[in-house]
Amino acid sequence: MPAAAQYLEPVTPYSFRVAKNAQRGMKTEVVVYANRRLVAQIEQDLSLDQAVNVSMLPGIVGPSLAMPDIHQGYGFPIGGVAAMDWQEGVVSPGGVGFDINCGVRLVRAPLGVEDVRPRLRELVERIFRDIPCGTGRKGRLDTGKKQLEEILAGGAPWMVKNGYGWERDAEFTEERGCLAGADPGEISARAKERGGPQLGTLGSGNHFLEVQFVEEIHHAEAARAMGIEEGQVVVLIHCGSRGLGHQVCTDFLAQMGPAMKRYGITLPDRQLACVPIQSEEGQKYLKAMRGAANFAWANRQAILHLLRESFVGVFGARARLEVVYDVCHNIAKREKHVLEGRRVDVLVHRKGATRAFPPGHTEIPAAYRGIGQPVLVPGSMGTASWILAGAGGSMERSFGSVCHGAGRLLSRTAARKGRDARQVQADLESRGILVKSETRDGILEELPEAYKNVDEVIEVVVGAGLATKVARLRPMGVIKG
Amino acid sequence: MFEILEHTADIGLRAWGGTQREMASEASRGLTAIVMDASRAKAAVEWEVSAAGEDQEALLVNWLSEILYLLDATGVAIHSVDVADWEMASNGEWRGRGVVRGEPRREEEHPARLIVKGITWHQLQVRKTGEGWCAEVYLDV
Repeated sequence: MPAAAQYLEPVTPYSFRVAKNAQRGMKTEVVVYANRRLVAQIEQDLSLDQAVNVSMLPGIVGPSLAMPDIHQGYGFPIGGVAAMDWQEGVVSPGGVGFDINCGVRLVRAPLGVEDVRPRLRELVERIFRDIPCGTGRKGRLDTGKKQLEEILAGGAPWMVKNGYGWERDAEFTEERGCLAGADPGEISARAKERGGPQLGTLGSGNHFLEVQFVEEIHHAEAARAMGIEEGQVVVLIHCGSRGLGHQVCTDFLAQMGPAMKRYGITLPDRQLACVPIQSEEGQKYLKAMRGAANFAWANRQAILHLLRESFVGVFGARARLEVVYDVCHNIAKREKHVLEGRRVDVLVHRKGATRAFPPGHTEIPAAYRGIGQPVLVPGSMGTASWILAGAGGSMERSFGSVCHGAGRLLSRTAARKGRDARQVQADLESRGILVKSETRDGILEELPEAYKNVDEVIEVVVGAGLATKVARLRPMGVIKG
Repeated sequence: MFEILEHTADIGLRAWGGTQREMASEASRGLTAIVMDASRAKAAVEWEVSAAGEDQEALLVNWLSEILYLLDATGVAIHSVDVADWEMASNGEWRGRGVVRGEPRREEEHPARLIVKGITWHQLQVRKTGEGWCAEVYLDV
């Protein structure tokens, strides 16, 4: 049990807090969005202590936040949100993570579940062939050095301009698929060498591509705006910046230790390594991080391009895939918020958390502005995923953020113990879910039982007023590393 | 010797050796085993590796990041890692140097296991034990 558990007190049915304690080094309180049952699960690992550690970072504004899918990470908890004062605060590469702009893109097909079901096996096999996971096979879109530089600066729109997508794709992507202020020159040659050939690959671990159908609509107007209806087939793509982002994080973490000494920063956990946002190192990291984020959006765009070929290959030219939305859940972004009536200029770290801006926000595409920003929450393999829309409470309570998934419960070893991949695959198949994985462990480690109940996580963010339900999605075909 | 440690989302590695050099070599072998099945890798080609850090823990993270780079970017199926130097320099910085032997990885011969994203500082430890040295490090997967 984490040490901080003894200080956790309920505030509402959907939120708990650890009060600020300056003696223990806390600069602010910790707010956890969860119900009692989820709190009991959260207390099984060290994530709560990690949220307390985050509250000790210099320049933190508002509470250190934990979403209901919070679980133990390294440094920051996964499912953590922390806003830092843009002038006085720090930026932490560990607060973004190795997989910069890991995120989710949802696309809709003009097909119903009854159109796809009879040819599901063919579709899954085809996607598995067309979109490499990247463990054994390189990406099919290996770019030259010059093109890679342009991708790092240009993100998804560059891909669209160069024939890997449609104009509309980037419009329905967070930040329109490109963070301004990226500088490819701050990204090492090694990061480019490691990640460049991986463009258009999914990765392994919890990354996947799922063919799903809309099981239930909870918000008719929002669903209409998103162009989805009950029984419709959609595809969820979950991946990030691959080796490029991983190496950017590695490169900057290696520089942080000596830099922190220069700035006189001491921390309870070395993985929280951070530097002032306004320092030379801080600015260089942000320029490199934005480039890696753009690479991730380009990667999800590349995967969509390949996926479109798979769908047309199986269902013919009518099977046009349209982007519903694309969100990132590992990022640090400069945003303007209002905290207790005061305007603040902050760098919001979202580590395993999704932006969820409410209706009316100017960052939301015009087609969705009336309903709120679409939020895509993948559940565990074989259970369910959710489409939400950001609600008003998110700006007041969580710097416009919500959860990013179900949240892990079991370690990978515990998930594998006593289970057989073929049996798991057969069980899922008997429930109408085809799974194709590059590795045997890939199936076992991502077992539904290894995760919290996604529906319960969703009840909390909705109950806390951070988001509203739009639709529940059920998987049919899973492709993973 | 090395063993895998439990962590909710990621994976840990504990490595032992009679000396610090052996410990670093075992940690490198453990990392390789998490990334791929390299049991059939041949010592056909050599790659020189060097790393540095402000203390021994930092050196271990930076060293394993070098090994990971060989695995993930260069695409090496690692046969063995021979750590020649692992010591504190006169300016207080820790430095490591050694040779990796292996061959270019082929999926059929050396099947992939997990993609490791990076070497973390989470609960990182290097300590002296009765028999030698022990390192604990967590990897982001």
